[in-house]
Amino acid sequence: MPDFPPLFVYAIILVGFVLTNLALTHLIGPKKRTPVKDMPYESGMDPVGDARQPFNVRFCLVAILYLVFDVELLFLYPWAVSAFSDEGGIPLELRGTVFGIMLAFIATLVIAYIYAWRKGVFKWR
Amino acid sequence: MDKIFEYIPQGLIITLVAIVAAVGAMLGVISYLILLERKLSAWMQDRRGPNRVGPMGIFQPFADGAKFLLKEDVIPANADKVLFLAAPGIGLLTTMLAFAVVPYGPVGAAGAPWFLRFIIVPGVDIGIVFIFAVTSLAVYGVILGGWASNNKYSALGSLRASAQVISYEIPLGMSVLGIALLGSTLDIEKILTQQASGGFWSWYFWTQPLACLIFFTSAMAEANRLPFDLSECEQELVGGFHTEYSSMKFALFFLGEYTHVITTSFLTAILFFGGWHFPWIATAESAYAGAWIVKLLVLLAKVFMVIVLIMLLRWTIPRFRFDQLMNLSWKALIPLSLANMLSVMTVLQFGWDRWLLGPISIGLFVLAGVISVGFKRAEIRHRPSAAELSQQLVT
Repeated sequence: MPDFPPLFVYAIILVGFVLTNLALTHLIGPKKRTPVKDMPYESGMDPVGDARQPFNVRFCLVAILYLVFDVELLFLYPWAVSAFSDEGGIPLELRGTVFGIMLAFIATLVIAYIYAWRKGVFKWR
Repeated sequence: MDKIFEYIPQGLIITLVAIVAAVGAMLGVISYLILLERKLSAWMQDRRGPNRVGPMGIFQPFADGAKFLLKEDVIPANADKVLFLAAPGIGLLTTMLAFAVVPYGPVGAAGAPWFLRFIIVPGVDIGIVFIFAVTSLAVYGVILGGWASNNKYSALGSLRASAQVISYEIPLGMSVLGIALLGSTLDIEKILTQQASGGFWSWYFWTQPLACLIFFTSAMAEANRLPFDLSECEQELVGGFHTEYSSMKFALFFLGEYTHVITTSFLTAILFFGGWHFPWIATAESAYAGAWIVKLLVLLAKVFMVIVLIMLLRWTIPRFRFDQLMNLSWKALIPLSLANMLSVMTVLQFGWDRWLLGPISIGLFVLAGVISVGFKRAEIRHRPSAAELSQQLVT
């Protein structure tokens, strides 16, 4: 069992560090607000409309595909650690079966990948 | 004096020393790495670089720090205040938190003082997964920063950055699977020990050169470093997601980026280049007095070399175009890392010699090159001629 309490000490110290920095610069720095300074900087032009507009659907497609691959990666990590481990891994007589299962698992992924490619998800121009 | 120690658990002292050493060294080193980077950039571009503050500009980091603190803390009027303030905090917090499981010295080396542990959280057996999990949260810093500032440049920059970071997350995670298969562990300390006890030729670079290349490339893209800094390309997007940020908030973003670079360099040195192991000087057997200092220096030297390589790459390769960037990840690095993992599992399953993996990696790399040149040629062949294009435009 790893020794996790130090992680929480570290996290608390880091949060403290970040908050102190944000507060310090807020307290020390000068505050001279003008309407022009409060505008978003868009190369000196007066901003037109809101920046929070609909964006290209491709970003969404990439995010969906990322989810597919990332979940698949999560399944691969425990297998990778135990697959060829001498101590407490997959027993020798089962390794052939597991190898076949993993090949099938990766094959489904590859099919999805080819499908996405043919559908033009990776086409950015 | 001894009385005081009785009331404080020894573990807490060791932890605090490890944290203070790591964070303090990190902040100090980062401020001087920025100076080094500016000097290196100047040297590569035939300039002088910062040379006003102190002799040869060695006090520049102090001046920068003071200025970051003293500048006005501007929050745009129509920004989302809470998220606007939270974004740089998240950016730094996540990258710093990832450093918790990275051993920054010889862990458990004989002869080292009892209060030096060289790792903040020891014995985490999911170390690599922890790092990927926490660093992938850094994308929230970028996308919240861009969205909260309500600036069109920021919004575009953060969109690009988030697409880039999640795309390179996959090859990054997949390239390490080869090492997880070979070493049967995700514990960074154990991976280091395996290489140290196996000797020079058991460094994972020799069996996994392709994985090393993929890991390094994707890690640079994750850290938003040039040639992958599409999120903040100055020519098109002013400053990208941190256009609206000033004073210490900008510094926090900057610190976060550099922390990411340092963590990446540590990981590259430890996973692929044997960590503190170096033949003859610092092996698992070397037991001379002060061996732990030599090991520490070897590790730091390796990390320093990776950092300098990243800095040199910055001015060597021009920035990618966005479609090239996405193509590199989705059409090159992901299939390559998948093929690399398949080759490792096949070699291990059929009990072939591990040394086959080196030639296989090189073969895969060459094959990928040939295929991509073929794709490019086919694309050029099918490209419509100028006359056809004008015809299309007319109709």
